[in-house]
Amino acid sequence: MICRQLIVLSVLAALLPSSAAASSLTVFAAASTREAMERIGAAFEEETGTPVVFSFAGTGTLARQVEAGAPADLFVSADADWMDYAVEEDAVLPESVRLIASNALVLIGPADGSPLELKAAEIAALLDGERLAIADPETVPAGRYGRASLEKLGLWQEVSGQLAPMENVRVALASVARGDTPLGLVYRTDAAIEPGVAVLAELPQDSHPEIEYLAALTGTPPTQQAQTFLAYLTGPQAQEILQSLGFVTDKVE
Amino acid sequence: MSFFNLQPDEWQALLLTLRVAAAALAVSLPLAILVAYVLARYRFPGHGVVNALVHLPLVLPPVVTGYVLLLTFGRKGPVGAFLDDVFGISFAFNWTGAALAAGVMAFPLIVRPIRLSFEAVDPKLEEAAKSLGAHRLVSFLTVTLPLALPGILGGAILGFAKAMGEFGATITFVSNIPGETRTLALALYTATQTPSGDLAAFRLTLIAAFVAFAALIASELLARRLKIRLGGDIA
Repeated sequence: MICRQLIVLSVLAALLPSSAAASSLTVFAAASTREAMERIGAAFEEETGTPVVFSFAGTGTLARQVEAGAPADLFVSADADWMDYAVEEDAVLPESVRLIASNALVLIGPADGSPLELKAAEIAALLDGERLAIADPETVPAGRYGRASLEKLGLWQEVSGQLAPMENVRVALASVARGDTPLGLVYRTDAAIEPGVAVLAELPQDSHPEIEYLAALTGTPPTQQAQTFLAYLTGPQAQEILQSLGFVTDKVE
Repeated sequence: MSFFNLQPDEWQALLLTLRVAAAALAVSLPLAILVAYVLARYRFPGHGVVNALVHLPLVLPPVVTGYVLLLTFGRKGPVGAFLDDVFGISFAFNWTGAALAAGVMAFPLIVRPIRLSFEAVDPKLEEAAKSLGAHRLVSFLTVTLPLALPGILGGAILGFAKAMGEFGATITFVSNIPGETRTLALALYTATQTPSGDLAAFRLTLIAAFVAFAALIASELLARRLKIRLGGDIA
């Protein structure tokens, strides 16, 4: 059965190369979800035979692209503000929006760095005139959560003049791993996938608004495959993958 | 506040952009004149390689150029670490780094028209100057350079324009620090990354368009005056 499908598919693909794209799903997903999404996509393809193609970027970039009619079936946002924006602009179906995971924030340093106490003096000593790599606190969700957390902890004044605001959280991660910046603020899940960095401190969960990864359908009308994938994201297989990579999944229904 | 009054962060981005572009041009123009002259006048082994190297930033995606700059001139990069240790010069996360990125990106655009105008200068005029006893440098400065001025002006304008609008290499190399590396192009990008940033992006677009317009008109006037003077000299 599967064999016959494969033959039909490959014949179709050979005859009409461009029509192959129509049978796959395109998902626009926040940069910080890359590893999890790629694994979930692979598992989904194995289960259903539908390949999932991802486009990863900062949530803001993706939201603008989705709003402008980019051919995405699903949009996975790293925060609620951009999803609200997409809903307001009629770029996604409001009733399809659902929470798929949440996350935590950490301060990272070089792989041989030692634990850090969340005190202004300690952070200043570690920075020693250099910069703290962070996703842009004006625009990128990871940076906005980071700013909220540092403000709540009374550390914002100390570091706000010494930031290196990056396009997205993964650029901040790479900057610390490369040694261009001695300290960085990223998601816990980012720190986990980069052997070149160490977690120096965890930022308390109650110091920032809940970090919400939201997924929604974009297409009007959405395809059956897109709806299946959306359901799959909150299903046990996907949730297990997310959890294994350090995402917080206990609030997902 | 009136729509037409620039806000402090807009002023900051505008002045920084002008500073970055001016610094980029000031450093790369003399070097570009030298390279253009060598490429135009001399044939040597590796001529093609030098030419290709000069054009590399034009062909490579800007992000790649920025990444190469980051790996080379970053704090841990070989050149960056050396400059920092020996001279205390750091390009990392600094406006000078933005100027470096802009200068590198603009370099091929500056070299090209200058080289063409050097090639258009008749070598016999230089030889005539030398046969009359002028030192090579004197003949270059008093004969070749003035005759190539239209090309130099053209290269400078192109380079300045490119430097003002540079984005990809800059954000990759020195990130997006308000007041330090956030030029107009980066400020515009930042505005588009904010859910409610449409108006801010629109205003920055107007500012950038206005500056570009003013610069082009000014260069046009300058070119016209130069033409009159050059025409007078030759006649």
